[in-house]
Amino acid sequence: MIANSSTSGPLGPEVGSEGQLGMAQTTGRYVVVFEDDASPADTLEATAGASNVADSRDFDSQAMDMAATAGADATVFSELGIAVVTVDPERLGFMQTSEPARGTIRSVSPELIHHVLDAPSDYVSGYRDGVMDLTARLGDDDEAPAERGVEASASANFADTDQATWGIQATRVSTTTKSGAGIKVAVLDTGFDSTHPDFVGRNITAKSFVPGAPPQDGHGHGTHCIGTACGPKSPSGTRRYGVAYEADIFVGKVLSDEGSGSDAGILAAINWAVANECPVISMSLGADVARPHPPYNQAGRRALAAGTLIIAAAGNNANRPGNKGFVGAPANSPDIMAVGALDPVLKIARFSARSLPGRGGQVDIAGPGVNVYSSWPMPTRYHTISGTSMATPHVAGIAALWAQATGRRGLALWATMVKESQRIAMPSVDVAAGLVLAGG
Amino acid sequence: MVKVSVTVDDEHLSTIGIVAEALRERGMDIADVLGELGIITGSVPQVRQSALIEVSGVISVDADQPIQLPPPDSPVQ
Repeated sequence: MIANSSTSGPLGPEVGSEGQLGMAQTTGRYVVVFEDDASPADTLEATAGASNVADSRDFDSQAMDMAATAGADATVFSELGIAVVTVDPERLGFMQTSEPARGTIRSVSPELIHHVLDAPSDYVSGYRDGVMDLTARLGDDDEAPAERGVEASASANFADTDQATWGIQATRVSTTTKSGAGIKVAVLDTGFDSTHPDFVGRNITAKSFVPGAPPQDGHGHGTHCIGTACGPKSPSGTRRYGVAYEADIFVGKVLSDEGSGSDAGILAAINWAVANECPVISMSLGADVARPHPPYNQAGRRALAAGTLIIAAAGNNANRPGNKGFVGAPANSPDIMAVGALDPVLKIARFSARSLPGRGGQVDIAGPGVNVYSSWPMPTRYHTISGTSMATPHVAGIAALWAQATGRRGLALWATMVKESQRIAMPSVDVAAGLVLAGG
Repeated sequence: MVKVSVTVDDEHLSTIGIVAEALRERGMDIADVLGELGIITGSVPQVRQSALIEVSGVISVDADQPIQLPPPDSPVQ
């Protein structure tokens, strides 16, 4: 087990050569992390007195010959902004606090010795196999010991407060500084109630892809989803329910007021969102069809390549514990992110569909999808409902926050969200990377 | 008439208009040529649907897959 080293702050003498850092073994050298715009060689000379610096750029394709650099005071990995340095422990403090270090050196840490992780012994693996076999024989895998009692799920118990919905709290949207400003979020659904008072002054572009129908929402589903993805930070007289409160909203009405729609309108709306350079498309819609639909495979792939991430509901065709359902179209297309639904104790929702075998058929991430409070067409104003449809705009709104925070688009944005999500003690086939989280 | 979505391969993306014209000649009524996605939507008499796949650049012809949300008063959406 390798202990996590401190990445900032002065290092005491106890972490010098052969010193102990928690359980970690160290080499006696130090790993220096530079700020993005620093010049590593100049900085090392000024702070560590290192004159003999090997730079990865001096090697073909930056493939360093580690033997050739053995005599150097410092080895700089230019692409990474990192160097490994031999330095007198007495200079460590100077390296971190001196004038030339300021704004150029982010951290100095002891270089750790890493080991191949030990394989479990025969006894342990035999015991483990026995437990797994017993678990399988006992039946329902949702009740397996490994899936309950783990901190994240067991301690979670979110509730709506006067300030914010449980979903806004659980996803840490309530504490982020990001707003989605400058990010276009397309929500393809039943449209939007443009008279809703919570959206006065917002930048909204609305277009209908339902023949003969205006973009106005005559169902409610679309207004609810847009509320979750893009609702205001401080709605008058009620709790916060929306994520990306300064995002530009693209309303694509692709489902009629009766809640029905077809490929032609949905594909046209995706094309419209891509052409308008929307980094995020939220689609709380789907058909209970296990086979990925080729047009959505292509639309997802092309959109992602163009920098537009499509996020779709996994589907509500499960009835747990007995029937775990399957991810429907379009969420089961490989380049479309499929969203499962969690309840306020961060358990999988009864209705939330499980991953299909086969490429693309998996759930990719999960979001709050049970008892979700959001906007509803006037005069009702607000409404609380459940579904993977409600989890999806949480993920889409948070995608807008990450797009704003990092500048990432497409697959890089996808990867960021997976990387930053909170793992929870639920089967990966149900929740995948876990609960989507806001950052920044 | 059957509503269909025709998926066009990457090589024909820049000439998707020519593909659409060839589809029209085979009896397809074109609704939309989606240049960002490489998809052509429309409808075609059922007996002619199978002929569309023969058009150069077409990799898939799929019948429309309808979507239906639950009614607004459903607790699960």
